Amino acid sequence: MIGKDNHQNGWLTGQTKSITFIVTKDCQLACKYCYLVGKNSKERMSGEVAKQAIDYIIAHESDFLEESVVWDFIGGEPFLEINLIDQICDYIKIELFKHNHHWFNSFRFVFTTNGINYNSDKVQSFIKKHKSHLNITITIDGTRRKHDLNRIWKTKEMEKGIMPKPEEERGSYDDVVKNIPLYLSQFPNASAKVTISSADISYISESVLHLYSLGIHEVNINCVFEDVWNEGDDLRFEEQLTELADAIIDGGYYKDYACSFFTEHMGKPLDCKLQNQNWCGAGRMLAVDAAGNFYPCTRFAQYSLREKKAWIIGNIHDGIDQNKLRPFLTLDRCTQSNQECIECEVAEGCAWCQGENYDAADTPTVYQRATAICKMHKARVRANNYYWNKLFRKLELEGIAKEEAEKHVKKSNPEIC
Amino acid sequence: MLQYLIILLDDTSYSYCHYSDIKTERRLIGLDTLKRGILFAMKENLNIQFVYPDYELPEAYREVIDSIDHTDIKPSAVSDGADVVVVNGCRSLEQMTVDIGVSYVLRTDKSDLFANYRLIMEVLTQATRVNVVLTDVETFTDDDFAGYKRVLGELSENVEKLYVGGKTPQLNILTDRMMLDRMNNCGAGDNNLTLAPNGKFYVCPAFYMENETNDVGDLDSGLHVKNKQLYKLDHAPLCRICDAWQCKRCVWLNRKTTLEVNTPGHEQCVAAHLERNASRELLSNIRKCATFLPEREEIKEITYLDPFEIKEQW
Ligand code: SF4
Ligand code: SF4
Repeated sequence: MIGKDNHQNGWLTGQTKSITFIVTKDCQLACKYCYLVGKNSKERMSGEVAKQAIDYIIAHESDFLEESVVWDFIGGEPFLEINLIDQICDYIKIELFKHNHHWFNSFRFVFTTNGINYNSDKVQSFIKKHKSHLNITITIDGTRRKHDLNRIWKTKEMEKGIMPKPEEERGSYDDVVKNIPLYLSQFPNASAKVTISSADISYISESVLHLYSLGIHEVNINCVFEDVWNEGDDLRFEEQLTELADAIIDGGYYKDYACSFFTEHMGKPLDCKLQNQNWCGAGRMLAVDAAGNFYPCTRFAQYSLREKKAWIIGNIHDGIDQNKLRPFLTLDRCTQSNQECIECEVAEGCAWCQGENYDAADTPTVYQRATAICKMHKARVRANNYYWNKLFRKLELEGIAKEEAEKHVKKSNPEIC
Repeated sequence: MLQYLIILLDDTSYSYCHYSDIKTERRLIGLDTLKRGILFAMKENLNIQFVYPDYELPEAYREVIDSIDHTDIKPSAVSDGADVVVVNGCRSLEQMTVDIGVSYVLRTDKSDLFANYRLIMEVLTQATRVNVVLTDVETFTDDDFAGYKRVLGELSENVEKLYVGGKTPQLNILTDRMMLDRMNNCGAGDNNLTLAPNGKFYVCPAFYMENETNDVGDLDSGLHVKNKQLYKLDHAPLCRICDAWQCKRCVWLNRKTTLEVNTPGHEQCVAAHLERNASRELLSNIRKCATFLPEREEIKEITYLDPFEIKEQW
């Protein structure tokens, strides 16, 4: 069969659709910062629901014009459902081929996992089978003490709402780190994803360096968007990032290792006409859950929301209600921002999550930007300025001009979600 | 800026707009609540529009209502002294005595309108203004839009004859756009709010009918419209670039169809653009026969029926 030419059929060149299957809401861990407030071990996706979702998507090719697709599997912990995922991936491949779909040969399967059963036979044979189309990110938060602060094993009591005493908590660091060498041998360019909440601030620098020492060259790191920050967190954060900047520059890590906290494009004012695009991709993505409901992103499913009702845009039987996507597809930066954000001198790079905006808003809207992250962004900008000023000076003293600096610094591909 | 207060005198006050009359049990506003509502409007400098049920109010109410300049919106059964008379379905126009100086609101759905739209023409020969409200516009399919376009075309031919003959009745869906030079939408939540019989404020009567907990304040604690910027045109990304200026831009329908008050659904936009385009034709046809609204520019020809289709070009 001859594949379709992606450049001649009106496909959106260079764009990628992200389609997420929430295969299970269960997980072995009970991470303290986990936004999945409604996690439970009951809701698992059935093969039938997954098939119907795929059938719908493939049958509506003209509604999915992006040039390529990422089939994303999340949980809970997706690898708890490895048999189902294997079936889904096979089905996707066969159906794309059967329909001569423009995504055939232009797709990837993407996983974010806690890494605990990474070395199991089932997961390993899955990896071998689909390797050329796979991206896997293992979540490891850094040093043992940083990782174990949040990423603890779930207990039976927790399901009944009884939390363990701090001395009874069991961290998951060892269970994950043992799989890192295997993981890196299979995905040498893998990156780590780290989430920072108030209690983690003091461990940022050591954690990033620790991940580098494990052989991970790219660390994508974000502050949570939720309103969790305490008095003085911004200053402690700035201090940590400055310490990290010194370590990366003095140790010469910047050549081969990247940390998404430091980026040249950040901390400038933004224009409401020329730089008005939305940050978050909700609405351009699609998520489907065990009940067969579609969402603009997983953060709009009920299990991710604290305060608001799920934002359902359709289901596998009736299809997608395009009207329910319009607010996302017309959303811009300034319409959802307050005056302070619009006038902010360091607005560039200040991120938001549409789901958290919705959850935290005074009314059920995605048009009210949550600003809990404001002081953390400002602290990051100060540390980032310090990083680049110091690095450019160092390179300059080594005879490398600012314009040439790019070639000597490894760049990160920051992801925010 | 808030300019109008709509006061629902009873839970069974007739709908004059997109929402349905879902409350069937009478609940007359308390006399004290009514007085306080009027006092509130006076102090906030708001024009009051009273919406009536289909039974006569007690004398004491009439006295209180008459204590302030106002507009009366009444069902045809009790239309004495009304400024606006509401009728449901084109067939109700048949038996109606038309009063010059009164505006008529015709609430109709697609099946009624497509079958009986000619009755509107008869009323227009006598009335000063008829407002057509489509009560099921959110259910329109492509076939329905084709039907609506046809109806607008036929109504337009008749309106054109009246105008050329020197009569200038207003039919919102055809003549408003040609008279306007900027957006003129419903304005609920922005320039008007509603006081319900329970003493609470709502964005519009539809929000009250749908759920009494939708309130945005009450007479005791005042107004607290959260995210009130979202009711304003400059916070509506689609509408602010649109020139279907006669569109109601119904924030209640917006929320119903897209879950956001500032974002219209496809159907509302297409219906409004069919009206806009019919208005464009009408203006140009009248001008072929006579000088008409010389200060107004031509309405531009456009290629889309839903501004969402051209969002990449903004
Ligand atoms: S928002 Fe305005 S147009 Fe819509 S139902 Fe209410 S009053 Fe009518
Ligand atoms: S036609 Fe659509 S975009 Fe234009 S004002 Fe009406 S609702 Fe808004």
